[in-house]
Amino acid sequence: MDASFLSTIFGDALPIAPEIVMIVGALLIPGLFMLTKNGKIAAILSEVFIVVALAIAALVLADENIQGTFMNIFRLDQFSALMMILFLIVAFLVVLISPESPETTKHKGEYYSLLMIAVTGMMFVASSANLMSIFVGVETVSISSYALAAMKKNDPRAAEAGVKYLIIGGLSSALTLYGISMLYGITGTIQLDEIAAVLSTMDTYNWPFLVSMIAMIAGYGFKISAVPFHMWAPDVYEGAATPVSTFLATGSKKMGFAVLFKIFFTLFAIAPVFATTEMQYVFATIAAVTMTVGNIVAISQQNIKRMLAYSSIAQAGYILIALAVMTPYAMTGGLFHMFTHVFMKGGAFIIVASLIAAGIGENISDYKGLAKRSPFAAAAMLIFLFSLAGIPPLAGFTSKFVLFSSAIFVDGEVVYQWVWLALIAILNSAISLYYYARVVKAMYVDAGDSEEKIKLKKTHIVAIVICVVGVILLGVYPGPILDLCSSAAQSLFGLL
Amino acid sequence: MIPIELVLGFAALLFCTGLYGMMTTNKALVALMCVELMLNSANINFIAFAAYNVFADATIGNIFVLMSIAIAAAEVAVGLALILNVYKIKGTSSTDDLTTMRW
Repeated sequence: MDASFLSTIFGDALPIAPEIVMIVGALLIPGLFMLTKNGKIAAILSEVFIVVALAIAALVLADENIQGTFMNIFRLDQFSALMMILFLIVAFLVVLISPESPETTKHKGEYYSLLMIAVTGMMFVASSANLMSIFVGVETVSISSYALAAMKKNDPRAAEAGVKYLIIGGLSSALTLYGISMLYGITGTIQLDEIAAVLSTMDTYNWPFLVSMIAMIAGYGFKISAVPFHMWAPDVYEGAATPVSTFLATGSKKMGFAVLFKIFFTLFAIAPVFATTEMQYVFATIAAVTMTVGNIVAISQQNIKRMLAYSSIAQAGYILIALAVMTPYAMTGGLFHMFTHVFMKGGAFIIVASLIAAGIGENISDYKGLAKRSPFAAAAMLIFLFSLAGIPPLAGFTSKFVLFSSAIFVDGEVVYQWVWLALIAILNSAISLYYYARVVKAMYVDAGDSEEKIKLKKTHIVAIVICVVGVILLGVYPGPILDLCSSAAQSLFGLL
Repeated sequence: MIPIELVLGFAALLFCTGLYGMMTTNKALVALMCVELMLNSANINFIAFAAYNVFADATIGNIFVLMSIAIAAAEVAVGLALILNVYKIKGTSSTDDLTTMRW
C-alpha cells in the first residue's frame, strides 16, 4: 500500500505523526466529556484516536521510505514503530475494558486523557534519540500513571498505592537525572550515538562514569521493577483499579525496557567499549536475581493481582536476558517476549478485571469452582497462565524458547558464557508452573461455594478473545512477528 | 574561579542529603521534598558542567535544567494532590500508616 499520503498530511513532522494524533485525542476528550457527560462516547473516541495512531505506526513499519528523524530528537525506525504498535495495542485493550469496569473513576474524561498522555509519553520514549527526550518521555508516563493509580475514588488501597508509586517514582527519576548529568559531564553531549562515539575513545574507568551507570541502572530498574527495585510493583498493581494495573504491568514496564534497550545497546553493544563485558555481567546478575525472587515470592501470594505482579517481575527477569547477552538475536527474543507478555499477562489481568466486574473477589480462593460458573473465563485463564509458564504450543513457550536459546547460541554456535543464565531461567519456568497450577487447581478441581453462572460484560469478552487469539497465534505461527522483531533489533544495532 | 570538583561535591552532598532524608522520614510530604533536593542536585551538576564549559556544547545543559525544573513542578503538583487524597481518605499521610499492603 502506498503510504506517501502520510508525508503529504504531516510533512516534516511525519516521524512524530502517531504522537500528534494521540495528543490531539488526549486534549479533545476531557472537553468533550465535559459537554456530553457520557463516558461511553469518551471511550469510543479514544479508541478511534488509538486505532488511527496504530494504523499510522503500522504503515510506517511497513514502508521504510517514510521513516526518518525529526529535528535530531526523534527517530522513527523499525524499532520505534514496532514499540509504538505494542504500546497502542496495550492502550486499545485497556480502553476497551475500562467503560464497563466498576473500579474506574467517574471522571471518565480525565481518565482516558491521562491514559492517552501516558501512551504518548511511551511512544516518545520509543522514538527518542537523545537522553533529554527519553527523560521527558519517561516522566510524562510516570506522572500520568501516578494519578491513574490513585484514580479510584474513596478507596484506601488505591490512595496508598498512589503515594507509594509517587515516592518511589520520584526517587527513580531523581536517580536517572543524576546519572544523565554525570554522563553529560564526561561526554559533553546528550545525543545517544555521540555519547557512544565518545565512550569508544575512552579506555579505562573513571568515577563519574561508574556513578552515572549505577544511577541509571537503578533508576530505570525501578521502572521495569527489577529486583532489588521491585517493592512498589505488587503494592501498586494490587491497589490500583485493575484496568490501570493491566496498563502498568504490560505498558509501563515495556517502556522501561525500551529505554534500557535504547540506551545500553547504543552505548555498549553496537561497538564494544571498555565496559561492555562488565555491563553484561551486571545485567545477567540482575536478571537471575529478578526472575528467582519474583517466582519464589509469587508462590506464597493469596491475592491474584499480587501473584500476577510478582510473576510480572519474574517475566522482567526473563526479558533482561536480552540485555545480558547483547546480540541482535537475543534482542529479537526480548522484543518477541514483550509482545507475547502483553497478550498473556494483559489477558490474565483482563480476566481478573472482568471477574471483579461480575462480583468475584481478588483472592485465589474466590476462584474455586470457576470452571463450572464460567467455563469461558476459566478456559481463557488456563490458556494465559499456561502460556506464562511456558507450555507449548502457546506464545509464552515460543518466546521463551527464542529468548533462552539466544543465551546459549551466538551466531549458531554454542557459547558457554551464558549457559548458566539459561539454566536458571529454565529452572525458574519450572518453579512458576507451581503457582500458576495452583490457580488452575482452584478453578477446575476445587468445589466452589456457589454454582451460580457468571455473566461477563460484552466488551470484556471481546478483549479476552483478542488476547486468546494473540496468545495462540503467536504461539503456533510466530514467523511474521519474529521477522518484525528481528528487523527492529537490527535497526537498533545499526545493521539495517 | 571555584574548582569544579567543589561544585560537584556540593551537588553530591545535596543528593545524599535527599536520599538520607527519604530513607529515614515517615512523612510523605518530606519524602516529596527530598525528591526535589535530589532533582536539584542533578540540576546543579548540569549547570556546573555547562558553566565550566568543559565541552563545546554548553547550551544543552542549561536547556536540560529548564526541562527538569518544569518536570519537577509537574511532579510536585500531582504529588501534593495524591498526598491530600490519601490524607482525606485515611486521615493521615504518614508512611508508617500506609501499610495495608505488604509482601
